Amino acid sequence: MLLTANAMGPRLRWGLYLSTGVIALFLLLPVVFIVLLSFGSSQWLVFPPPGWTVKWYAQFFANAEWMAAAWSSLKVALLTTVFAVALGVPTAFALVRGRFVGRELLYALFTLPMIVPLVIIAVAVYALFLKLGLTGTLFSFVVSHVIVALPFTIISIINSLKLFDRSIEDAAVICGASRIQAILRVTFPGIRPGLISGGLFAFLVSWDEVVLSVMMASPTLQTLPVKMWTTLRQDLTPVIAVASTLLIGLSVLVMLIATGLRRRNDARALELQ
Amino acid sequence: MNAILKPKPHTTLVSLRQLNKHYGDFTAVDNLSLEIEDGEFLTFLGSSGSGKSTTLSMLAGFETPSSGEIEVAGRSLVNVPPHKRDIGMVFQRYSLFPHMSVRDNIAFPLAIRKLPAAERDKRVNAMLKLVQLEAFAHRRPAQLSGGQQQRVAIARALVYEPRILLMDEPLGALDKKLREDLQDELRQLHRRLGITIVYVTHDQEEAMRLSQRIAIFSHGKVVGLGSGVELYQNPPNAFVASFLGNSNFLQATATGNAGAVFEGQAISIRPQAHTSTQQPVLLMVRPEKALAMSQAAAAATPLPPGWNEVAATVSEVLFLGESQTCSAVTTGGTALTVKALSASGMALTPGEAIRVRWAAGDACVYTQWAASDLKKG
Repeated sequence: MLLTANAMGPRLRWGLYLSTGVIALFLLLPVVFIVLLSFGSSQWLVFPPPGWTVKWYAQFFANAEWMAAAWSSLKVALLTTVFAVALGVPTAFALVRGRFVGRELLYALFTLPMIVPLVIIAVAVYALFLKLGLTGTLFSFVVSHVIVALPFTIISIINSLKLFDRSIEDAAVICGASRIQAILRVTFPGIRPGLISGGLFAFLVSWDEVVLSVMMASPTLQTLPVKMWTTLRQDLTPVIAVASTLLIGLSVLVMLIATGLRRRNDARALELQ
Repeated sequence: MNAILKPKPHTTLVSLRQLNKHYGDFTAVDNLSLEIEDGEFLTFLGSSGSGKSTTLSMLAGFETPSSGEIEVAGRSLVNVPPHKRDIGMVFQRYSLFPHMSVRDNIAFPLAIRKLPAAERDKRVNAMLKLVQLEAFAHRRPAQLSGGQQQRVAIARALVYEPRILLMDEPLGALDKKLREDLQDELRQLHRRLGITIVYVTHDQEEAMRLSQRIAIFSHGKVVGLGSGVELYQNPPNAFVASFLGNSNFLQATATGNAGAVFEGQAISIRPQAHTSTQQPVLLMVRPEKALAMSQAAAAATPLPPGWNEVAATVSEVLFLGESQTCSAVTTGGTALTVKALSASGMALTPGEAIRVRWAAGDACVYTQWAASDLKKG
């Protein structure tokens, strides 16, 4: 028997509502807290705020350092997205379509950065770039972010590629399209939700990444989370709350887009059955 | 109107020669040779794993033969990639491009070939008309029924006028009524266009309904090739006999060229060229060619010359609407089935002693067979 909301007794049902509410609150409270603080008039991050203001936002946007950090974050995240997708597509094709020894092992290897503690990857990448003299460059930021973003991108593309009926691509080939033409004109449109959500995941991973970024950062190049981290250690200004709110805002937006796409993808999967 | 009835010179369009396909230790296609005539409707019939789909796939170019030759109009195709073979194909799951309209799906092969827009439109319109989907041109595949989707797939495969159309169980996903409608449409389409169609199915009724010739596949080989009538009435071997339709097998011992002993009783068989005395032979009688009659009826009706009669006991009588079947067992333990049209009647009851008769000319004779041939499938 399926345990549905109606089948369980009222006591169990309300208990479940309550526990779910508490968990949601627990997860959401810090976010709500920081967003409210960014509009608070006290400069000491007092809660509840004695009054409301947008002056911290004005300060944030007027500050060249904050703006430079935000701009760097955006640049790194966009480049990470591009490279993660560009590398993720051929990898996903090889892992889904390839028939070679060690395919499972390779899949495990590609998803390893999801499991390995971030700090270990950070130390390793830092040591490498230090040796190459490339720390503090845009290149080092993007490379290190791609390492941690790639598993998410690959998994997302693999999922939609597995869902895609290969005989549709074969149909394009027998119609006269070369394999590459068929992939570009038929397969890519077919796996578009996976490509887009793979890209969005890569963007998100890079956008709020802090461990690797702290290692890679230099006085001239740092991302928003790094700037927040260093600022936080000097003084506790509500401008940090503003930066947090903007980080959260963009992340939520990206998540919403990803969810919308997944819904459409699921609807299509249902249609195919 | 019946272009098909006009005698037409038989010219070979496709030659498959000593074709092999191995996957590791498994032999999917085993030294297969087959000639496909220009303009014919040929069906590959067989159970799953018989090699029919693999052979079709090699013809399309999606699988490379382990060895052997594929020639179309005298030109070898083995090293030609699938997109340059100029072959049309319809897949089991329609395989339409989901993000394109019906019109764009059909126009795709022409767009790839960079045909001028005016010519493209003209041909697509003609195809839409042919498959009666003009009103649906702007719909997406997902907005069409299964039958409509398959018609789009057929139009897409025909729009670039390939010489050969391959169809891989294209109607398998449709329900029976729709399947029969589309079978009729396909037959008419073939008659009108004169295109060569190679069709794969595991449904023997579909194979009979559609094709001029049927190639029966088993274990990677073609074990029977001919029209439905030929294969059914005179199966070349015991496997085809048991695979197609229903059959009664009687194991006997030859006593000469036209005689044998079945369960100790002398019977006549179709005259054979090379049978020697004491050679085991297998007789095959279709259930509808045999007669079952009560002892009284048998006593009252003299046995016509060239007919055989054996004694049996009825085990079951089944009424199937337009026909009726009677299962019986001979004194020697051989199971026989007799089928008759309900209209002609078969008033028998289980347990009754009866006589089963058949004409020697209606029984096929085999001198070689394997025990597994006699099992269905």
